[in-house]
Amino acid sequence: MTKGWTRREFIGQGLTAGMSLGMGAALTACGPRRTREPEEQMVGVGALEDELTIYNWSDYIGATTVSDFENEFGVRVIYDTYESNEDLLAKLQAGARGYDLICPTGYAVDVLRAFDLLAPIDRSVLTNWGNLSPEFLGRSFDPENRYTVPWLWGLTGIAYRADLVDPAPDSWGVFLDETYRGKMTQPDDMRDVIGCWLKYRGYSGNSTDPGQLAQAKADAIRAKQNLKSFVSAPVKDQLIAGDVWIAQLWNGDTAQARTEEPDVSFEIPREGSMMYLDSMAIPRSARHPKAAHAFLNFILRPEVAAGISDRSGYGSPNAGAIPLQTRVALTPTPEEFARLEYQEDLAEGTALWDRIWTEIKVG
Amino acid sequence: MTGRLPRWLGGVTGSVLLFLHLPILILVAFSFNASRFSAGWAGFTLDWYRAMINRPDILRGLSLSLQIGLVSAIISTVLGTALALALHRYRFRGRATLESAMYVPLVTPEIVVGISLLALFAALNVSLGRVTILIAHVAFSISFVTVIIGARLAGMDRSLEEAALTLGADEFTTLIRVTIPQLMPGVVAGGLLAFTLSFDDYVITSFVTGSGTSTLPVVVYGMVRRTIEPTVNAVSAVVLAVTTLLIYLADWISRRGTE
Amino acid sequence: MKDVRKQRLLARIVSKPTTLLAPAGFWLLLFFIIPLGVMVVYSFMPRGIYGGVEPGFTLEHYLRFLDPLYLTILLRTVLMAAGCTAVCLLLGYPVAFAISRARRWKHILLLLVIMPFWTSFLVRTFAMIFLMRDTGLINTTLMRIGVITEPIVMLYTPFAVMVGLVYTFLPFMILPIYASLERLPNSILEAAEVLGAKPAARFRRIILPLSGPGVVAGSLLVFVPALGSFIPSDLLGGAKQMLIGNLVQNQFGAARNWPFGSAASFVVMGVVLIGVLVYLRSGRGEVTTALQDAG
Repeated sequence: MTKGWTRREFIGQGLTAGMSLGMGAALTACGPRRTREPEEQMVGVGALEDELTIYNWSDYIGATTVSDFENEFGVRVIYDTYESNEDLLAKLQAGARGYDLICPTGYAVDVLRAFDLLAPIDRSVLTNWGNLSPEFLGRSFDPENRYTVPWLWGLTGIAYRADLVDPAPDSWGVFLDETYRGKMTQPDDMRDVIGCWLKYRGYSGNSTDPGQLAQAKADAIRAKQNLKSFVSAPVKDQLIAGDVWIAQLWNGDTAQARTEEPDVSFEIPREGSMMYLDSMAIPRSARHPKAAHAFLNFILRPEVAAGISDRSGYGSPNAGAIPLQTRVALTPTPEEFARLEYQEDLAEGTALWDRIWTEIKVG
Repeated sequence: MTGRLPRWLGGVTGSVLLFLHLPILILVAFSFNASRFSAGWAGFTLDWYRAMINRPDILRGLSLSLQIGLVSAIISTVLGTALALALHRYRFRGRATLESAMYVPLVTPEIVVGISLLALFAALNVSLGRVTILIAHVAFSISFVTVIIGARLAGMDRSLEEAALTLGADEFTTLIRVTIPQLMPGVVAGGLLAFTLSFDDYVITSFVTGSGTSTLPVVVYGMVRRTIEPTVNAVSAVVLAVTTLLIYLADWISRRGTE
Repeated sequence: MKDVRKQRLLARIVSKPTTLLAPAGFWLLLFFIIPLGVMVVYSFMPRGIYGGVEPGFTLEHYLRFLDPLYLTILLRTVLMAAGCTAVCLLLGYPVAFAISRARRWKHILLLLVIMPFWTSFLVRTFAMIFLMRDTGLINTTLMRIGVITEPIVMLYTPFAVMVGLVYTFLPFMILPIYASLERLPNSILEAAEVLGAKPAARFRRIILPLSGPGVVAGSLLVFVPALGSFIPSDLLGGAKQMLIGNLVQNQFGAARNWPFGSAASFVVMGVVLIGVLVYLRSGRGEVTTALQDAG
């Protein structure tokens, strides 16, 4: 998939070159070359390792998921968190090792696969695989689910204060309306903002067409005049306090805000919206593949999956988990589901999107 | 004590200190707020302190940050002071280049420092952890220390040192007995800044940290980036209490030492 | 006897400039300059579609900076950092002076300046958001005591950004000025007063020249990192503007253009380093003559 060097090798070579310039030959011998692991990973035989390192989004797991797993399997779990796919990608691409499980979004899986950073999953040990809803299998980032196990899904929509806003905002166009000027926010994220304006005009939220993006840019700059700010998840506080009345927000965050302020409601705009699927994956450099597989099979149990979804407010891809959930999840109706589109990697289009995002910010 | 100072000066100082501490007081107040979101006051609670005690990652992060902060402050203060002395006291080839190179860490965006260091460690096959965090922290702290000490050194009265040398003390004794004591306020200021830089660093640390070695800012960042958990307010309050106590102890010990 | 000889040897080694230089120089070279050198190499290579770089050589990332879009961002960032430096100097100087004159309380006051920074900067920022927002502490208090009837919009304005920036960088100004003023004995000021020097004259002729190096150092320590800061602008300014810090962060993040991110960093670093060199040259000169005047 990649031409020439992989990123990791390249950094190795670049550094080696840099060092020979600066430090002479002493350190050049240190440039390592990792050998590739065998393509098919067979983990069925033998005892579990006694340790497992998980690198996940913060606040994105059940309250007792990790401790339950530790107690049952006798594996010590080291649990670290990151805040964005970009953080995860930059870290893995620059050569960080030692993580056994990571949780990239679909488009980030594309990137990780392009750099050959993921190890295939041995499905034969995942006896609970059948609990997954077929809806969430075989997505474009991993058509055969060779590398990923679905974790949670989410969608972006409009969160608003039902007691302050009437009628309910059911179109992205609400951000262009001056009625609520200074009381509205959109996330500080180019995929969310430009994506919603593409949807507003009836285009794909993954479009890289310059003409369509130019229209989205014009709308975004007009809407910016009405926005209080670009702010992502922390907007919850201000929705609850009543500083912000209308916010483009993810369903899980809205669910969290709603537990505090019941007037916080959620609409999926009629033009449609973007959704994502986060999946667990095993990096090639993982040191504890057996324990990683044990964990994957563990989270596929309906009751465990329900706990994860309940705590975060995001949807579970586990069909068996739905009846077990205690939180009233903001689940779309089948018609609304039909209007959702998966976020995909923009590949070559990234540069154009970035340019437009910069222009929106400066404009 | 400060009777000779004009009153307005005390006023400005008091206002600035209030400005610096107001958000901190808010944090402490909110650590007792029953509401999960900082939308208003919903009653008194100790829940967040209980929640904190049940999170070993927070306590581990705090202890790790204190350790790294102290060691990094000591190393970077020693190295930074030596560098400042060399730059200000000696003429040698390449001095100007070196002096401007010293400003490079101040200018470099943190993310560039983080990625380039991570790439270096990956290429050298160094496993990430407390050592790599320490190396990174010292690397970005040295320059700050050197600049502060340099400000103290510039135009410092050299007559005492000259007197010491004339009276037969060797350069080393002069350095230890005369120069360093004169530099002390700069060293204290530099050391404090180095500790603070290390203790509060998130961006660079997030790149060079390994699994299971999350410092306090890394843990805290995860707690506030998506949902603002009042537990972080409890953590902040505890950090303040612990540091105040440590300072009080250090002060007490140094007083006993001088008596 | 042996001890003495050992000490002599140690003395000779320690007091050499090379010995003083080597540890810090080595550390900076290995863990800063060389990794940075690799990023310099990156900045001349084509970007990879999925991040990273492709083999080859190009100047496009530097030429791209000539685009008015990016020059606007650069200009705004410089103005903001300069404003922040001015405010920090205005507020920080009196504080540094007061601390340097306080006898017993000196170290306590110094700690009070730095202690707020031992809580995470994000947590501090969220506390500031709570203070400044429409339904925040300041507005509700003012409305309750009847000073205002409508909330003053503070959050998500340039004012809030400046407050956040000044908060972040104030100690960087106070500490070096304090370090340079601390050596001024009170007796000199008293003597000047006895001899009839007015406060303004005492300040201009004695205090200011002495604090010159501290002011130079403090201004650098504020201005330079302020150029790269973006959290106050994002969280307190509402992210409606883009600064160089955001631009660089985006290039290593969502934009996946490492070489442009590196190039943007090096353009800023180059501009700043040239500025610092010029500033130091001129600053040094002034300080020396000022000291001679004072002497």
